[in-house]
Amino acid sequence: MKRRIDDRMANLIRLEDVTIGYENKGILGPINLAIENGQFWGILGQNGGGKSTLLKTLLGLLPTVSGNVKSADGIVFGYVPQSEKFDPIFPVSVGEIVSMGRYVRVRPGKKLTVSDMDQITRSLEKTGILHLKDRTFRSLSGGEKQRSLLARAIAGEPDVLVLDEPTASVDVKGEVQIMELVQKIRSDDGLTVLMVSHFLNTVTRYADRIILIDKDSGYFEAGGKSEILTDHNLSKFFGLGTGSVII
Amino acid sequence: MGILSEFINSYFLWRDPMIVGAVSGAVCGFLGVYVVLRRIIFVSAALTQISSFGVALSFYLEGFSMGAMSSFIHPFILSTVLTSLAAVFFAMKRDFSRISQEGVIGFGFLIASGAVIILGDRITKGAHDIANILFGSAVVVDPKDVYIIPAVALAAVVIHIIFFKDFVFVSFDEETARLFKYPVRTLNTAILVTIAVVVAVATRALGALPVFSFLALPPLTSLFLTERLKLVFALSVIIGALSATLGYFFSFVLSIPTGASMAVSASVFFILGLLWREVKVRL
Repeated sequence: MKRRIDDRMANLIRLEDVTIGYENKGILGPINLAIENGQFWGILGQNGGGKSTLLKTLLGLLPTVSGNVKSADGIVFGYVPQSEKFDPIFPVSVGEIVSMGRYVRVRPGKKLTVSDMDQITRSLEKTGILHLKDRTFRSLSGGEKQRSLLARAIAGEPDVLVLDEPTASVDVKGEVQIMELVQKIRSDDGLTVLMVSHFLNTVTRYADRIILIDKDSGYFEAGGKSEILTDHNLSKFFGLGTGSVII
Repeated sequence: MGILSEFINSYFLWRDPMIVGAVSGAVCGFLGVYVVLRRIIFVSAALTQISSFGVALSFYLEGFSMGAMSSFIHPFILSTVLTSLAAVFFAMKRDFSRISQEGVIGFGFLIASGAVIILGDRITKGAHDIANILFGSAVVVDPKDVYIIPAVALAAVVIHIIFFKDFVFVSFDEETARLFKYPVRTLNTAILVTIAVVVAVATRALGALPVFSFLALPPLTSLFLTERLKLVFALSVIIGALSATLGYFFSFVLSIPTGASMAVSASVFFILGLLWREVKVRL
Protein backbone atom coordinates (compact mmCIF):
# COMPACT_ATOMS: atom_id res chain seq x y z
CA MET A 1 0.00 0.00 0.00
CA LYS A 2 1.41 3.38 -0.97
CA ARG A 3 2.37 5.62 1.92
CA ARG A 4 1.90 9.22 0.99
CA ILE A 5 4.39 11.74 2.20
CA ASP A 6 2.58 14.09 4.58
CA ASP A 7 1.66 17.18 2.55
CA ARG A 8 2.41 19.26 5.61
CA MET A 9 6.04 18.15 5.34
CA ALA A 10 7.52 20.94 3.23
CA ASN A 11 11.07 19.70 2.79
CA LEU A 12 11.36 16.30 1.21
CA ILE A 13 15.12 16.44 0.85
CA ARG A 14 17.50 18.84 2.51
CA LEU A 15 21.23 19.31 1.90
CA GLU A 16 23.06 21.01 4.77
CA ASP A 17 26.60 22.22 4.07
CA VAL A 18 27.17 19.28 1.77
CA THR A 19 30.35 18.77 -0.21
CA ILE A 20 29.81 16.30 -3.05
CA GLY A 21 32.54 14.09 -4.50
CA TYR A 22 33.95 10.57 -4.84
CA GLU A 23 36.03 8.49 -2.42
CA ASN A 24 36.39 11.35 0.04
CA LYS A 25 37.62 13.74 -2.65
CA GLY A 26 35.35 16.80 -2.78
CA ILE A 27 34.49 18.33 -6.13
CA LEU A 28 32.02 21.02 -5.06
CA GLY A 29 30.67 22.47 -1.86
CA PRO A 30 29.38 23.51 0.57
CA ILE A 31 25.88 23.18 -0.90
CA ASN A 32 22.69 24.10 0.91
CA LEU A 33 19.46 23.09 -0.77
CA ALA A 34 15.86 22.27 0.14
CA ILE A 35 13.60 20.28 -2.19
CA GLU A 36 9.97 20.89 -1.33
CA ASN A 37 6.91 18.77 -1.97
CA GLY A 38 5.46 19.19 -5.47
CA GLN A 39 8.35 21.10 -7.03
CA PHE A 40 9.94 20.34 -10.43
CA TRP A 41 13.69 20.89 -10.29
CA GLY A 42 15.87 20.95 -13.38
CA ILE A 43 19.57 20.31 -12.76
CA LEU A 44 21.53 22.05 -15.50
CA GLY A 45 25.20 22.10 -16.39
CA GLN A 46 27.78 21.04 -18.92
CA ASN A 47 28.93 17.45 -19.40
CA GLY A 48 31.14 16.48 -16.48
CA GLY A 49 29.94 19.46 -14.48
CA GLY A 50 28.80 17.47 -11.46
CA LYS A 51 25.08 17.08 -12.26
CA SER A 52 24.98 13.29 -11.88
CA THR A 53 27.22 13.41 -8.79
CA LEU A 54 24.78 15.86 -7.17
CA LEU A 55 21.81 13.71 -8.16
CA LYS A 56 23.34 10.53 -6.76
CA THR A 57 24.21 12.34 -3.54
CA LEU A 58 20.60 13.56 -3.23
CA LEU A 59 19.42 9.96 -3.68
CA GLY A 60 21.87 8.59 -1.14
CA LEU A 61 23.70 6.53 -3.75
CA LEU A 62 26.90 8.46 -3.09
CA PRO A 63 28.05 9.42 0.40
CA THR A 64 28.77 13.06 1.02
CA VAL A 65 32.37 14.12 1.53
CA SER A 66 31.02 16.33 4.30
CA GLY A 67 27.66 17.67 5.47
CA ASN A 68 24.28 15.98 5.73
CA VAL A 69 21.54 14.89 3.37
CA LYS A 70 18.23 14.61 5.17
CA SER A 71 15.24 12.93 3.54
CA ALA A 72 11.68 12.65 4.77
CA ASP A 73 10.95 9.34 6.54
CA GLY A 74 9.83 6.63 4.18
CA ILE A 75 10.43 8.67 1.07
CA VAL A 76 10.20 6.55 -2.10
CA PHE A 77 12.13 7.43 -5.23
CA GLY A 78 11.18 6.44 -8.75
CA TYR A 79 14.38 6.51 -10.81
CA VAL A 80 14.67 6.83 -14.59
CA PRO A 81 18.35 6.30 -15.47
CA GLN A 82 19.87 6.61 -18.90
CA SER A 83 18.89 3.53 -20.92
CA GLU A 84 22.46 3.05 -22.21
CA LYS A 85 23.61 1.95 -18.75
CA PHE A 86 21.84 -1.42 -19.08
CA ASP A 87 23.85 -4.32 -20.48
CA PRO A 88 22.20 -5.48 -23.75
CA ILE A 89 23.25 -9.07 -23.01
CA PHE A 90 20.33 -9.35 -20.58
CA PRO A 91 17.24 -10.88 -22.25
CA VAL A 92 14.68 -9.08 -20.07
CA SER A 93 11.23 -8.10 -21.28
CA VAL A 94 9.55 -4.74 -20.80
CA GLY A 95 7.15 -6.37 -18.35
CA GLU A 96 10.04 -7.76 -16.29
CA ILE A 97 11.80 -4.40 -16.23
CA VAL A 98 8.68 -2.53 -15.15
CA SER A 99 8.09 -5.16 -12.44
CA MET A 100 11.51 -4.29 -10.99
CA GLY A 101 10.20 -0.81 -10.25
CA ARG A 102 7.67 -2.39 -7.91
CA TYR A 103 10.41 -4.06 -5.85
CA VAL A 104 10.75 -0.92 -3.71
CA ARG A 105 7.45 -2.10 -2.14
CA VAL A 106 8.37 -5.83 -2.07
CA ARG A 107 11.22 -6.95 0.15
CA PRO A 108 13.86 -9.57 -0.77
CA GLY A 109 12.57 -13.13 -0.66
CA LYS A 110 8.95 -12.03 -1.15
CA LYS A 111 6.94 -12.44 -4.32
CA LEU A 112 4.82 -9.89 -6.17
CA THR A 113 1.16 -10.00 -5.16
CA VAL A 114 -1.91 -9.57 -7.37
CA SER A 115 -2.13 -5.96 -6.18
CA ASP A 116 1.51 -5.42 -7.23
CA MET A 117 0.78 -6.89 -10.67
CA ASP A 118 -2.23 -4.58 -11.03
CA GLN A 119 -0.06 -1.54 -10.28
CA ILE A 120 2.51 -2.72 -12.82
CA THR A 121 -0.22 -3.02 -15.46
CA ARG A 122 -1.50 0.46 -14.59
CA SER A 123 2.02 1.85 -15.02
CA LEU A 124 2.29 0.23 -18.45
CA GLU A 125 -1.09 1.69 -19.44
CA LYS A 126 -0.26 5.17 -18.14
CA THR A 127 2.89 5.30 -20.24
CA GLY A 128 1.15 3.84 -23.31
CA ILE A 129 3.33 0.72 -23.62
CA LEU A 130 1.08 -2.14 -22.49
CA HIS A 131 1.38 -3.56 -26.02
CA LEU A 132 5.18 -3.78 -25.57
CA LYS A 133 4.99 -5.84 -22.37
CA ASP A 134 6.47 -9.02 -23.89
CA ARG A 135 9.08 -7.34 -26.11
CA THR A 136 12.71 -7.49 -25.01
CA PHE A 137 14.01 -4.18 -23.69
CA ARG A 138 17.04 -4.19 -25.97
CA SER A 139 14.84 -4.39 -29.10
CA LEU A 140 13.05 -1.12 -28.33
CA SER A 141 13.66 2.31 -29.84
CA GLY A 142 15.14 5.08 -27.67
CA GLY A 143 11.73 6.59 -26.97
CA GLU A 144 10.16 3.23 -26.11
CA LYS A 145 13.02 2.48 -23.72
CA GLN A 146 12.49 5.78 -21.93
CA ARG A 147 8.76 5.08 -21.61
CA SER A 148 9.57 1.64 -20.19
CA LEU A 149 11.91 3.15 -17.62
CA LEU A 150 9.31 5.78 -16.77
CA ALA A 151 6.72 3.02 -16.28
CA ARG A 152 9.24 1.24 -14.05
CA ALA A 153 9.76 4.38 -12.01
CA ILE A 154 6.04 4.93 -11.34
CA ALA A 155 5.31 1.24 -10.69
CA GLY A 156 6.65 1.77 -7.17
CA GLU A 157 4.18 4.64 -6.54
CA PRO A 158 7.01 7.05 -5.72
CA ASP A 159 6.97 10.38 -3.92
CA VAL A 160 9.84 11.75 -5.99
CA LEU A 161 10.43 11.06 -9.68
CA VAL A 162 14.10 11.27 -10.60
CA LEU A 163 15.13 11.52 -14.25
CA ASP A 164 18.72 11.38 -15.49
CA GLU A 165 18.94 12.85 -19.01
CA PRO A 166 15.52 11.45 -20.00
CA THR A 167 15.60 12.84 -23.53
CA ALA A 168 19.26 12.25 -24.38
CA SER A 169 18.60 9.32 -26.71
CA VAL A 170 15.38 10.47 -28.40
CA ASP A 171 14.53 12.80 -31.28
CA VAL A 172 12.67 16.11 -30.90
CA LYS A 173 9.22 14.54 -31.29
CA GLY A 174 10.14 11.83 -28.80
CA GLU A 175 11.43 14.43 -26.38
CA VAL A 176 8.12 16.30 -26.41
CA GLN A 177 6.18 13.06 -25.91
CA ILE A 178 8.34 11.96 -22.97
CA MET A 179 8.22 15.32 -21.24
CA GLU A 180 4.46 15.76 -21.77
CA LEU A 181 4.04 12.31 -20.22
CA VAL A 182 6.22 13.32 -17.25
CA GLN A 183 4.12 16.46 -16.78
CA LYS A 184 0.89 14.48 -16.87
CA ILE A 185 2.15 11.90 -14.38
CA ARG A 186 3.42 14.67 -12.13
CA SER A 187 0.08 16.40 -12.25
CA ASP A 188 -2.03 13.23 -11.78
CA ASP A 189 0.05 11.75 -8.95
CA GLY A 190 1.23 14.94 -7.24
CA LEU A 191 4.89 14.04 -7.63
CA THR A 192 8.00 16.02 -6.93
CA VAL A 193 10.40 15.82 -9.88
CA LEU A 194 14.18 16.07 -10.12
CA MET A 195 15.54 16.08 -13.65
CA VAL A 196 19.14 16.19 -14.82
CA SER A 197 19.58 17.51 -18.32
CA HIS A 198 22.06 19.41 -20.42
CA PHE A 199 19.25 20.57 -22.74
CA LEU A 200 18.48 24.12 -21.70
CA ASN A 201 15.24 24.36 -23.65
CA THR A 202 13.84 21.18 -22.04
CA VAL A 203 14.57 22.40 -18.54
CA THR A 204 13.28 25.94 -19.07
CA ARG A 205 10.07 24.66 -20.59
CA TYR A 206 9.10 22.15 -17.89
CA ALA A 207 10.92 22.87 -14.63
CA ASP A 208 9.84 25.55 -12.18
CA ARG A 209 13.12 25.55 -10.22
CA ILE A 210 16.67 25.36 -11.55
CA ILE A 211 19.98 24.18 -10.16
CA LEU A 212 22.96 25.38 -12.17
CA ILE A 213 26.15 23.51 -11.36
CA ASP A 214 29.71 23.57 -12.64
CA LYS A 215 32.38 21.90 -10.52
CA ASP A 216 35.30 23.24 -12.56
CA SER A 217 34.46 26.83 -11.67
CA GLY A 218 33.05 25.88 -8.27
CA TYR A 219 29.66 27.32 -9.24
CA PHE A 220 26.41 26.19 -7.63
CA GLU A 221 23.18 28.15 -7.56
CA ALA A 222 19.59 27.08 -7.01
CA GLY A 223 16.34 28.99 -7.26
CA GLY A 224 13.57 30.15 -9.58
CA LYS A 225 14.12 30.22 -13.34
CA SER A 226 14.38 33.98 -13.67
CA GLU A 227 16.84 34.14 -10.76
CA ILE A 228 19.20 31.56 -12.23
CA LEU A 229 18.88 31.99 -15.99
CA THR A 230 20.31 35.49 -16.06
CA ASP A 231 22.04 36.89 -19.14
CA HIS A 232 25.36 36.51 -17.33
CA ASN A 233 24.82 32.82 -16.57
CA LEU A 234 23.45 32.06 -20.01
CA SER A 235 26.50 33.66 -21.59
CA LYS A 236 29.00 32.07 -19.20
CA PHE A 237 27.65 28.51 -19.19
CA PHE A 238 25.84 28.19 -22.50
CA GLY A 239 27.49 30.79 -24.73
CA LEU A 240 24.14 32.45 -25.40
CA GLY A 241 23.55 36.11 -26.10
CA THR A 242 21.22 38.50 -24.28
CA GLY A 243 17.54 37.59 -24.56
CA SER A 244 18.26 34.15 -26.00
CA VAL A 245 15.97 32.30 -23.62
CA ILE A 246 12.34 33.07 -23.00
CA ILE A 247 11.39 31.93 -19.52
CA MET B 1 24.01 -51.50 -31.84
CA GLY B 2 26.81 -53.60 -30.38
CA ILE B 3 28.40 -50.63 -28.67
CA LEU B 4 25.05 -49.37 -27.45
CA SER B 5 24.03 -52.69 -25.96
CA GLU B 6 27.45 -53.01 -24.34
CA PHE B 7 26.95 -49.57 -22.84
CA ILE B 8 23.49 -50.42 -21.56
CA ASN B 9 24.69 -53.70 -20.11
CA SER B 10 27.40 -51.83 -18.22
CA TYR B 11 24.77 -49.90 -16.29
CA PHE B 12 26.35 -50.82 -12.94
CA LEU B 13 29.54 -49.06 -14.05
CA TRP B 14 28.13 -45.78 -15.27
CA ARG B 15 24.97 -45.22 -13.22
CA ASP B 16 26.62 -43.26 -10.38
CA PRO B 17 29.01 -41.22 -12.55
CA MET B 18 26.15 -40.43 -14.92
CA ILE B 19 23.94 -39.19 -12.06
CA VAL B 20 26.80 -37.08 -10.69
CA GLY B 21 27.62 -35.73 -14.14
CA ALA B 22 24.03 -34.93 -15.11
CA VAL B 23 23.23 -33.18 -11.82
CA SER B 24 26.50 -31.22 -11.95
CA GLY B 25 25.90 -30.24 -15.56
CA ALA B 26 22.36 -29.14 -14.79
CA VAL B 27 23.11 -27.04 -11.71
CA CYS B 28 26.25 -25.51 -13.25
CA GLY B 29 24.19 -24.68 -16.33
CA PHE B 30 21.65 -22.90 -14.11
CA LEU B 31 24.20 -20.95 -12.09
CA GLY B 32 26.21 -20.26 -15.21
CA VAL B 33 23.44 -17.96 -16.47
CA TYR B 34 24.50 -15.48 -13.77
CA VAL B 35 28.15 -16.06 -14.67
CA VAL B 36 27.50 -15.13 -18.30
CA LEU B 37 25.01 -12.27 -17.76
CA ARG B 38 27.16 -10.65 -15.09
CA ARG B 39 30.18 -11.08 -17.37
CA ILE B 40 32.18 -12.96 -14.75
CA ILE B 41 33.21 -15.99 -16.81
CA PHE B 42 36.79 -15.34 -15.72
CA VAL B 43 35.65 -15.46 -12.07
CA SER B 44 34.20 -18.92 -12.63
CA ALA B 45 37.45 -20.03 -14.27
CA ALA B 46 39.36 -18.76 -11.22
CA LEU B 47 36.95 -20.53 -8.84
CA THR B 48 37.37 -23.88 -10.62
CA GLN B 49 41.15 -23.55 -10.38
CA ILE B 50 41.00 -22.53 -6.73
CA SER B 51 38.74 -25.52 -6.08
CA SER B 52 41.29 -27.75 -7.81
CA PHE B 53 43.99 -26.19 -5.64
CA GLY B 54 41.94 -27.06 -2.56
CA VAL B 55 41.69 -30.70 -3.67
CA ALA B 56 45.40 -30.90 -4.55
CA LEU B 57 46.35 -29.24 -1.26
CA SER B 58 44.26 -31.76 0.63
CA PHE B 59 46.00 -34.68 -1.08
CA TYR B 60 49.39 -33.09 -0.43
CA LEU B 61 48.65 -32.52 3.26
CA GLU B 62 47.55 -36.16 3.65
CA GLY B 63 51.24 -36.98 3.80
CA PHE B 64 51.70 -34.90 6.97
CA SER B 65 50.57 -35.52 10.50
CA MET B 66 48.07 -32.69 11.19
CA GLY B 67 46.72 -33.83 14.54
CA ALA B 68 43.44 -32.14 15.39
CA MET B 69 43.43 -30.38 12.00
CA SER B 70 43.28 -33.67 10.08
CA SER B 71 39.51 -33.58 9.67
CA PHE B 72 39.76 -30.17 7.99
CA ILE B 73 42.02 -31.37 5.20
CA HIS B 74 39.34 -33.52 3.63
CA PRO B 75 39.20 -32.59 -0.09
CA PHE B 76 35.52 -31.63 0.10
CA ILE B 77 35.94 -29.35 3.13
CA LEU B 78 39.21 -27.69 2.10
CA SER B 79 38.07 -27.16 -1.47
CA THR B 80 34.70 -25.72 -0.40
CA VAL B 81 36.22 -23.40 2.20
CA LEU B 82 38.92 -22.03 -0.12
CA THR B 83 36.51 -21.56 -3.03
CA SER B 84 33.90 -19.86 -0.84
CA LEU B 85 36.50 -17.49 0.64
CA ALA B 86 37.64 -16.62 -2.87
CA ALA B 87 34.02 -15.94 -3.87
CA VAL B 88 33.51 -13.59 -0.92
CA PHE B 89 36.74 -11.83 -1.82
CA PHE B 90 35.74 -11.43 -5.49
CA ALA B 91 32.30 -10.13 -4.41
CA MET B 92 33.94 -7.21 -2.66
CA LYS B 93 34.42 -5.41 -5.99
CA ARG B 94 37.19 -3.10 -4.94
CA ASP B 95 40.28 -1.81 -6.65
CA PHE B 96 43.36 -3.10 -4.88
CA SER B 97 46.48 -0.92 -4.98
CA ARG B 98 45.34 0.63 -8.26
CA ILE B 99 44.88 -2.64 -10.14
CA SER B 100 41.45 -3.62 -11.35
CA GLN B 101 39.19 -6.34 -10.01
CA GLU B 102 39.97 -8.30 -13.20
CA GLY B 103 43.67 -8.13 -12.40
CA VAL B 104 43.03 -9.63 -8.96
CA ILE B 105 40.89 -12.40 -10.46
CA GLY B 106 43.60 -13.11 -13.00
CA PHE B 107 46.13 -13.35 -10.18
CA GLY B 108 43.84 -15.81 -8.35
CA PHE B 109 43.45 -17.94 -11.48
CA LEU B 110 47.18 -18.04 -12.25
CA ILE B 111 48.49 -18.66 -8.77
CA ALA B 112 45.92 -21.42 -8.20
CA SER B 113 46.77 -23.03 -11.57
CA GLY B 114 50.50 -22.91 -10.87
CA ALA B 115 50.09 -24.18 -7.32
CA VAL B 116 47.99 -27.14 -8.49
CA ILE B 117 50.76 -28.25 -10.87
CA ILE B 118 53.51 -27.78 -8.28
CA LEU B 119 51.53 -29.64 -5.61
CA GLY B 120 50.68 -32.34 -8.10
CA ASP B 121 54.36 -32.96 -8.55
CA ARG B 122 54.70 -33.42 -4.78
CA ILE B 123 51.70 -35.68 -4.25
CA THR B 124 52.58 -39.31 -3.47
CA LYS B 125 53.13 -41.09 -6.74
CA GLY B 126 50.41 -43.52 -7.68
CA ALA B 127 48.02 -42.12 -5.13
CA HIS B 128 46.34 -39.38 -7.17
CA ASP B 129 46.70 -38.01 -10.67
CA ILE B 130 46.86 -34.21 -10.99
CA ALA B 131 45.60 -34.40 -14.55
CA ASN B 132 42.39 -35.97 -13.29
CA ILE B 133 41.92 -33.10 -10.86
CA LEU B 134 42.32 -30.52 -13.59
CA PHE B 135 40.72 -32.15 -16.60
CA GLY B 136 38.34 -34.65 -15.09
CA SER B 137 38.14 -38.37 -14.73
CA ALA B 138 34.52 -38.89 -13.84
CA VAL B 139 34.67 -42.47 -15.02
CA VAL B 140 34.28 -43.61 -11.46
CA VAL B 141 33.10 -41.37 -8.65
CA ASP B 142 33.17 -41.63 -4.88
CA PRO B 143 29.84 -43.32 -3.87
CA LYS B 144 29.21 -40.51 -1.38
CA ASP B 145 29.15 -38.01 -4.26
CA VAL B 146 25.90 -39.54 -5.53
CA TYR B 147 24.28 -38.09 -2.42
CA ILE B 148 26.47 -35.05 -1.70
CA ILE B 149 26.27 -33.44 -5.12
CA PRO B 150 22.47 -33.68 -5.54
CA ALA B 151 22.06 -32.41 -1.95
CA VAL B 152 24.31 -29.41 -2.57
CA ALA B 153 22.64 -28.79 -5.95
CA LEU B 154 19.19 -28.91 -4.35
CA ALA B 155 20.20 -26.47 -1.61
CA ALA B 156 21.63 -24.05 -4.19
CA VAL B 157 18.54 -24.30 -6.39
CA VAL B 158 16.16 -23.73 -3.44
CA ILE B 159 18.08 -20.58 -2.45
CA HIS B 160 17.95 -19.34 -6.03
CA ILE B 161 14.24 -20.06 -6.39
CA ILE B 162 13.42 -18.15 -3.19
CA PHE B 163 15.57 -15.16 -4.16
CA PHE B 164 15.24 -15.39 -7.95
CA LYS B 165 13.72 -11.94 -8.47
CA ASP B 166 16.32 -10.40 -6.12
CA PHE B 167 19.34 -12.07 -7.74
CA VAL B 168 18.16 -11.03 -11.22
CA PHE B 169 17.46 -7.49 -9.96
CA VAL B 170 20.93 -6.90 -8.48
CA SER B 171 22.55 -8.54 -11.49
CA PHE B 172 20.67 -6.31 -13.95
CA ASP B 173 20.48 -2.98 -12.12
CA GLU B 174 22.57 -2.84 -8.97
CA GLU B 175 22.25 0.94 -8.67
CA THR B 176 18.45 0.92 -8.46
CA ALA B 177 18.59 -2.03 -6.07
CA ARG B 178 20.78 0.09 -3.78
CA LEU B 179 18.36 2.99 -4.15
CA PHE B 180 15.56 0.66 -3.01
CA LYS B 181 17.67 -0.28 0.04
CA TYR B 182 18.10 -3.87 -1.10
CA PRO B 183 21.00 -5.69 0.64
CA VAL B 184 23.05 -5.60 -2.55
CA ARG B 185 26.35 -6.78 -1.11
CA THR B 186 24.68 -9.72 0.64
CA LEU B 187 22.80 -10.75 -2.49
CA ASN B 188 25.91 -10.49 -4.69
CA THR B 189 27.88 -12.53 -2.16
CA ALA B 190 25.12 -15.14 -1.99
CA ILE B 191 25.20 -15.57 -5.76
CA LEU B 192 28.97 -16.03 -5.80
CA VAL B 193 29.10 -18.29 -2.74
CA THR B 194 26.40 -20.64 -4.11
CA ILE B 195 28.40 -20.81 -7.34
CA ALA B 196 31.59 -21.42 -5.33
CA VAL B 197 30.14 -24.28 -3.26
CA VAL B 198 28.68 -26.02 -6.32
CA VAL B 199 31.98 -25.52 -8.18
CA ALA B 200 33.89 -27.02 -5.25
CA VAL B 201 31.85 -30.23 -5.05
CA ALA B 202 31.46 -30.65 -8.82
CA THR B 203 35.17 -30.02 -9.50
CA ARG B 204 36.16 -32.67 -7.02
CA ALA B 205 33.96 -35.19 -8.81
CA LEU B 206 34.36 -34.17 -12.45
CA GLY B 207 37.46 -31.97 -12.73
CA ALA B 208 37.98 -28.26 -13.42
CA LEU B 209 37.65 -28.36 -17.22
CA PRO B 210 34.15 -29.85 -17.49
CA VAL B 211 32.82 -27.72 -14.60
CA PHE B 212 34.11 -24.53 -16.22
CA SER B 213 32.57 -25.68 -19.52
CA PHE B 214 29.15 -26.19 -17.90
CA LEU B 215 29.26 -22.75 -16.28
CA ALA B 216 29.93 -21.00 -19.58
CA LEU B 217 28.73 -22.93 -22.61
CA PRO B 218 25.14 -24.02 -21.80
CA PRO B 219 24.10 -20.45 -20.83
CA LEU B 220 25.79 -19.00 -23.92
CA THR B 221 24.02 -21.59 -26.06
CA SER B 222 20.67 -20.78 -24.44
CA LEU B 223 21.13 -17.09 -25.20
CA PHE B 224 21.34 -18.02 -28.88
CA LEU B 225 18.09 -19.96 -28.68
CA THR B 226 15.73 -17.66 -26.80
CA GLU B 227 15.16 -14.07 -25.68
CA ARG B 228 13.11 -14.97 -22.61
CA LEU B 229 15.08 -14.96 -19.39
CA LYS B 230 13.30 -17.82 -17.61
CA LEU B 231 13.65 -19.96 -20.72
CA VAL B 232 17.39 -19.21 -20.76
CA PHE B 233 17.66 -20.75 -17.29
CA ALA B 234 15.54 -23.78 -18.25
CA LEU B 235 17.44 -24.48 -21.49
CA SER B 236 20.78 -24.03 -19.76
CA VAL B 237 19.84 -26.71 -17.23
CA ILE B 238 18.82 -29.13 -19.98
CA ILE B 239 21.88 -28.45 -22.14
CA GLY B 240 24.19 -28.78 -19.13
CA ALA B 241 22.69 -32.16 -18.19
CA LEU B 242 22.78 -33.38 -21.80
CA SER B 243 26.39 -32.25 -22.27
CA ALA B 244 27.43 -34.23 -19.20
CA THR B 245 25.53 -37.42 -20.10
CA LEU B 246 26.47 -37.39 -23.78
CA GLY B 247 30.03 -36.55 -22.86
CA TYR B 248 30.15 -39.54 -20.57
CA PHE B 249 28.57 -41.79 -23.20
CA PHE B 250 31.10 -40.82 -25.90
CA SER B 251 33.94 -41.16 -23.41
CA PHE B 252 32.76 -44.72 -22.75
CA VAL B 253 32.30 -45.83 -26.33
CA LEU B 254 35.29 -43.99 -27.83
CA SER B 255 37.67 -44.49 -24.88
CA ILE B 256 38.49 -40.81 -24.59
CA PRO B 257 39.06 -38.76 -21.39
CA THR B 258 35.70 -38.15 -19.74
CA GLY B 259 36.18 -34.53 -18.67
CA ALA B 260 37.38 -33.47 -22.11
CA SER B 261 34.52 -35.37 -23.74
CA MET B 262 32.02 -33.48 -21.59
CA ALA B 263 33.63 -30.13 -22.47
CA VAL B 264 33.58 -30.98 -26.19
CA SER B 265 29.91 -32.06 -25.97
CA ALA B 266 29.05 -28.70 -24.42
CA SER B 267 31.04 -27.02 -27.21
CA VAL B 268 29.09 -28.93 -29.88
CA PHE B 269 25.83 -27.65 -28.39
CA PHE B 270 27.31 -24.14 -28.45
CA ILE B 271 28.15 -24.45 -32.15
CA LEU B 272 24.67 -25.85 -32.93
CA GLY B 273 23.11 -22.95 -31.02
CA LEU B 274 25.22 -20.44 -32.92
CA LEU B 275 24.26 -22.00 -36.27
CA TRP B 276 20.58 -21.94 -35.26
CA ARG B 277 20.85 -18.27 -34.41
CA GLU B 278 22.59 -17.42 -37.69
CA VAL B 279 20.00 -19.32 -39.74
CA LYS B 280 17.12 -17.67 -37.84
CA VAL B 281 18.54 -14.19 -38.39
CA ARG B 282 18.90 -14.76 -42.11
CA LEU B 283 15.42 -16.25 -42.70
